[in-house]
Amino acid sequence: MFKHLFKLIWNKKKQNSLLIVEILLSFMVLFAVFAFGINSYRNYVKPIGINYEHVWVINYNNSLKTQNSDSLTLFYEGLLRNIKAMPQVIDAGYSSSNVPFSTSHTNNTISANGKEVPSVNQFSGDINYINVLGAKMQAGRWYNKEDFASKQNITVINNALKEKIFGNTDAVGKYLNYGDDKTHSKTKIIGVLNDIKFNGDYQRAEVSMYNRLDTGAYHWLTSILVKVDPKADAAFESRLYKLMANALKNSNIELEHLPNKLVAYNKFTLVPLIVMSIVAAFLIINVALGIFGVLWYNINKRRGEIGLRRAIGASGNSVSSQLVAEALIVATFSLIIGAFFAVQFPLLNVFDLPASVYLLALALAILFIYILVLICSLYPGKQAAAIYPAVALHEE
Amino acid sequence: MISLQNIEKVYRTTNIETLALNNINLDIAKGEFLSIMGPSGCGKSTLLNIMGLLDAPSKGQIKIADQTTGNLSDKQLAKFRNQKLGFIFQSYHLINDLQVLDNVELPLLYRDTTAKERRQLASEALEKVGLSNRMKHFPTQLSGGQRQRVAIARAIVGRPEIILADEPTGNLDSAMGNEIMDILINLNKNDGTTIIMVTHDEHMAQKTHRLVRLFDGSQVL
Ligand SMILES: Nc1ncnc2c1ncn2[C@@H]1O[C@H](COP(=O)(O)OP(=O)(O)OP(=O)(O)O)[C@@H](O)[C@H]1O
Ligand SMILES: [Mg+2]
Repeated sequence: MFKHLFKLIWNKKKQNSLLIVEILLSFMVLFAVFAFGINSYRNYVKPIGINYEHVWVINYNNSLKTQNSDSLTLFYEGLLRNIKAMPQVIDAGYSSSNVPFSTSHTNNTISANGKEVPSVNQFSGDINYINVLGAKMQAGRWYNKEDFASKQNITVINNALKEKIFGNTDAVGKYLNYGDDKTHSKTKIIGVLNDIKFNGDYQRAEVSMYNRLDTGAYHWLTSILVKVDPKADAAFESRLYKLMANALKNSNIELEHLPNKLVAYNKFTLVPLIVMSIVAAFLIINVALGIFGVLWYNINKRRGEIGLRRAIGASGNSVSSQLVAEALIVATFSLIIGAFFAVQFPLLNVFDLPASVYLLALALAILFIYILVLICSLYPGKQAAAIYPAVALHEE
Repeated sequence: MISLQNIEKVYRTTNIETLALNNINLDIAKGEFLSIMGPSGCGKSTLLNIMGLLDAPSKGQIKIADQTTGNLSDKQLAKFRNQKLGFIFQSYHLINDLQVLDNVELPLLYRDTTAKERRQLASEALEKVGLSNRMKHFPTQLSGGQRQRVAIARAIVGRPEIILADEPTGNLDSAMGNEIMDILINLNKNDGTTIIMVTHDEHMAQKTHRLVRLFDGSQVL
């Protein structure tokens, strides 16, 4: 019977082509939504890598007249001491402006171990950085006071970058290079920091480097991270603000809370998923109506055939299951074509997502389409079963 | 072979009641070739549908091959039609999207058969109606007479004991009609198939064993 139905559909491929294209299209959109969704979920369940609660960001700009590095160092070290001295402050430290959950990014190509890694995120933080953020070293150490004054080329990388370059082997003590020079590596890796999802809950931790701040850094630094007591309130916030404003006259001072920044960033990353889901929902409704309509139309056009089948030995149920089976076979045509396109994504590594994400999305999309087609064909199939053979045979 | 007792058929639509068959009593012997005649609308097709178990009478009993059919389920009726009955229609009712051979195989799909058996039986049936050389054609590529021969091949492929034909020559000119008639006569003679045929053609009816005339739902001969 299967071969028979296949033949029937194959001979009618022209009539079925619109439906095949429609199912194919919604399959592709579903596949994209599922892949995106699964990937977001898999990122979501991974730890974020920092403790962002009660961490504030002070943004300022350097409004001091002096350009002397020693004076700058003296001033900003004093400022940080004053902030730390406030009773509600647990810890504080300087950071490059690309603090977690901010939209500013700095990238660089680096080379090491004979490999080149493009787009490595570049962060800078002082000796307090990981303590303020609650990040953890996985190997080696973070920077200390001596590093600040020294001239040696040292760096800290995150776990994702370590795995990309060194795999399972140790990275501490090895060297890397800025740029694409793979041979003369000069910068020594002193530590591996845990992965931090600085692009929010739904995006993975990207490969990253944490660079040493030196004595010249105060010329360009514009952010201070402050870990405050849970009891820190608005009154404290305004005192902190005043302290900054008094110290840095004519500077734009801005205070942000990392938890708020995370919420904002998450919204930003979820928008495409939501838009895609809405598009998919519309398409699916369209396809559902399409399948329903085509089957309905087919049944009315095929009343004679249905009557004949009843006459030569088909029961009402077998007529209805035949129509459902035909719809599923048509869907199978679409899914075969769709799957061919879908497997190109992991094969060509289009979006740098793990293959398992694509495969799971593929399986879900196929399942979804089959269930959709099944549901849409059940009712028309039932209607077909109810056709009176004597009447249907009489009509032509 | 077929026994009809006090058959009555009433069609009810919203405000009209049509008495399509009125107290029909008919016994058809095994191997008989019976024709049914009567003016349009007198109930010929209705009677044939009831004999073919495609429609249930409003009253009365039908026995086919010693089987009372009144309380068979939809599935049992379907199986019964498949094994005991073959149908031929005025408008052929071939599936245009299937080749001739596949059309003829159709009844066998509703039985336990292998693809090879189906192929074998369908080829034999087509040979009987003289269409072995058209197996890969589509119905639309055939003449009316050829199409009706395909329909006959489909009706006989399952070796039914009874063939029900509703104006099988109605759409054909007399030459092609005679050809079809000859095939039916041969089937009746050589294979002993019981045939009930509705016709408008006196000439065709003359060639059968017995003629039943209907008028306004009642049997007049
Ligand atoms: N499904 C139906 N619903 C209502 N009335 C019907 C139905 N089928 C047939 N009839 C009526 O029953 C009567 C007998 O119809 P039937 O089709 O058996 O006639 P017929 O003898 O085969 O006519 P023809 O020679 O034109 O084919 C007609 O009056 C017809 O209108
Ligand atoms: Mg009729």
